[in-house]
Amino acid sequence: MSNVALKTEKMGRVYKLGGRQVQALSDVNLEIEKGDFISIMGPSGSGKTTLLNVLGCLDKPTHGKVLLDGVDITNVAERNLHKTRKHKIGFVFQTFNLMPWLNAVENVELPMEGTGKTKEETRKRAVELLNMVGLSERKEHRPQKLSAGEQQRVAIARALANNPAIVLADEVTGNLDGKTKLEIMKLLGKLNAEQETTIVIVTHDGQVASMAGRILFLSDGKLIAKEKQGTHQNK
Amino acid sequence: MAIMISIPAGITANQASTETLTQNLSNTITQTEATINQTLTQIDCTLSPSFEGFGFEPPNTGDASGFTPPDGSSGFAPGDFGGGSMPGRFGGGPFGGGGTTAMNETLYEDISSIEGVAAVASSLQASEGTEQTMEMMGRSFTRFVPDYIIKGVPLTSDLSDNYPILPTNITAGRNLQAGESGVVILSENNTAFFNAGVGDTIDILDQSFQVIGIYGSSGVEDVMTLYMNLSDAQSVTNNTGYITSITVFAASSNVVSTVASDISSLHPELTIVTGQQRLDQLETLRDTYEVQLENAYASLAQTQAVAVQEIVIAVAATSLIVLFVMLYTVRERTKEIGTLKAIGFSNLNIMSQFMLEGVILSLMAGVVGVVIGVFAAPALSGLLLPAVNAGFGGAFARAAGTVSSVSGVVTPELVLIALGGAVLLGVLGTLYPAWRASRTSPMEALRYE
Ligand SMILES: Nc1ncnc2c1ncn2[C@@H]1O[C@H](COP(=O)(O)OP(=O)(O)OP(=O)(O)O)[C@@H](O)[C@H]1O
Ligand SMILES: [Mg+2]
Repeated sequence: MSNVALKTEKMGRVYKLGGRQVQALSDVNLEIEKGDFISIMGPSGSGKTTLLNVLGCLDKPTHGKVLLDGVDITNVAERNLHKTRKHKIGFVFQTFNLMPWLNAVENVELPMEGTGKTKEETRKRAVELLNMVGLSERKEHRPQKLSAGEQQRVAIARALANNPAIVLADEVTGNLDGKTKLEIMKLLGKLNAEQETTIVIVTHDGQVASMAGRILFLSDGKLIAKEKQGTHQNK
Repeated sequence: MAIMISIPAGITANQASTETLTQNLSNTITQTEATINQTLTQIDCTLSPSFEGFGFEPPNTGDASGFTPPDGSSGFAPGDFGGGSMPGRFGGGPFGGGGTTAMNETLYEDISSIEGVAAVASSLQASEGTEQTMEMMGRSFTRFVPDYIIKGVPLTSDLSDNYPILPTNITAGRNLQAGESGVVILSENNTAFFNAGVGDTIDILDQSFQVIGIYGSSGVEDVMTLYMNLSDAQSVTNNTGYITSITVFAASSNVVSTVASDISSLHPELTIVTGQQRLDQLETLRDTYEVQLENAYASLAQTQAVAVQEIVIAVAATSLIVLFVMLYTVRERTKEIGTLKAIGFSNLNIMSQFMLEGVILSLMAGVVGVVIGVFAAPALSGLLLPAVNAGFGGAFARAAGTVSSVSGVVTPELVLIALGGAVLLGVLGTLYPAWRASRTSPMEALRYE
């Protein structure tokens, strides 16, 4: 099997706004290997979120191909795309997006609904994940009872629930203070190192970006540099 | 939702009351008919109001309307009960009509010697109650409200054994027997008023009587008549020697009209009503009531038509409310929908999630509606009922008790229908919002703040 988790070929995304066309992404050629930890940087409006949405099957490119685990998702019917999202993708959001009426474990269990796992298996996995992100003491808490950092840990655990091929995180540290920001990045680094989770994060923050294995720059929808970098996070 | 349950409750109440009235009416007519048929030989004689005082000098003179007995405490109520102008009135029991004007017994002894007369039963009827004054439109009216009616019948073995002078449907204890004194039989209504049963002793005008039996009342009217020996009635009401009506039993139905005309020529001051005449009166009454029933049904149909319109409006309003609440909810939770889709929920998952919430929402509304309905239904159906009651006219005013007891019935079926309706409307109102939620683009939804 190839070692490529995700690959795009001449991928482009054009938004049509009324009569106007917005070229949010153009000619993106990207290859993400299994176990990669990549950060994407770029000015506002450069297409970072658009790229993440396309990679996460929330959006379809208007040009080119996106190969996820070798499968071209542009060929997957819209009504089947949710399965791909459920099993292959893990999303982490800037504003955490936890369900406020569910406690931590239940939030982590949510993506496992309808995957054929028993209640016990689901619970066991969710508890395992919460332990892994360091929230073994906060399992029964509702999101509003958790700190921002803790909420993001729950969100990360949720993203990992179905053992996805790739975790996509858009500005996940954007709502966190300096110390918590680094803790979350350390956690992602640890998951990447220990679980070999493939991670792509989008950030404005150079310090955050530098904790990833590789930094990509986007400008006006184009990938302008692929920077191989050795500054893998220090344990 | 409250309206939804109240309106059917109102209709049910309307139907129930109309049916109750109809049932009571036909029962009464049938019973009265049967009684009259059994007693076609019976001739009722009462003193015509215009001949008042003809055979009787009231011990206390000066009272022109009706009869005031010597002690002044009891009175014969003109109008309300007694109905001297309508001897064959409903609910009067088997024995003749109740006259209201007193007659001197001795003046009518000659009737028994008329040819063709088999038996003569003189009776005394007196209403006991209180005068009530009520204010209406700035004027005050005094009305006699009877508590009970004393009926004294001649308890001779010949009469009580052979002629229908006493009620027949004894429900407790036993009937009056020939020669008995100091005992009464009560109607069910009386037992409530005196708070007494068989074996108890009651006070009637300061005199003690023992209750030996209770008879079942029939028909729409509350029967307030208690029966005792004529002599007891005369003494207790201070009317010794006086009666209020004479019932003549002809030897056969062939001679009834001859006997009636003989009585009439002997005593022109008497109002004479034969069984046949009473039967004819009944026919007229039946016709009148049938017309009234038709009117009542017509007004019921009208009420139902209006109610159906109101239900349609209520249903539309409920669906619209659910629709808007759910549309709002879906909008408010756009980001949540986006998140759920991002973590792998299908359109169908999202749709069913919102359908479930819509149904739960309307089910809760339904439960609240039922609770309100249970309390509001009587009031609301009360608003709908007068239309039906009006159709029955004043003669059935007393039957209104029956109506109020059946109004606002919230049956379990009605509750189920209301809850089922709520769920259905919930589904209807949620369909579009839930569909919209399921079609939300996750990308757009996640951008939404
Ligand atoms: N749904 C949309 N419809 C039309 N235009 C869009 C849409 N989403 C994004 N765009 C446009 O595409 C371009 C790229 O937007 P995108 O959100 O990907 O940028 P970004 O790099 O994530 O910016 P930021 O750092 O502010 O989050 C922008 O010009 C934006 O206005
Ligand atoms: Mg963005």
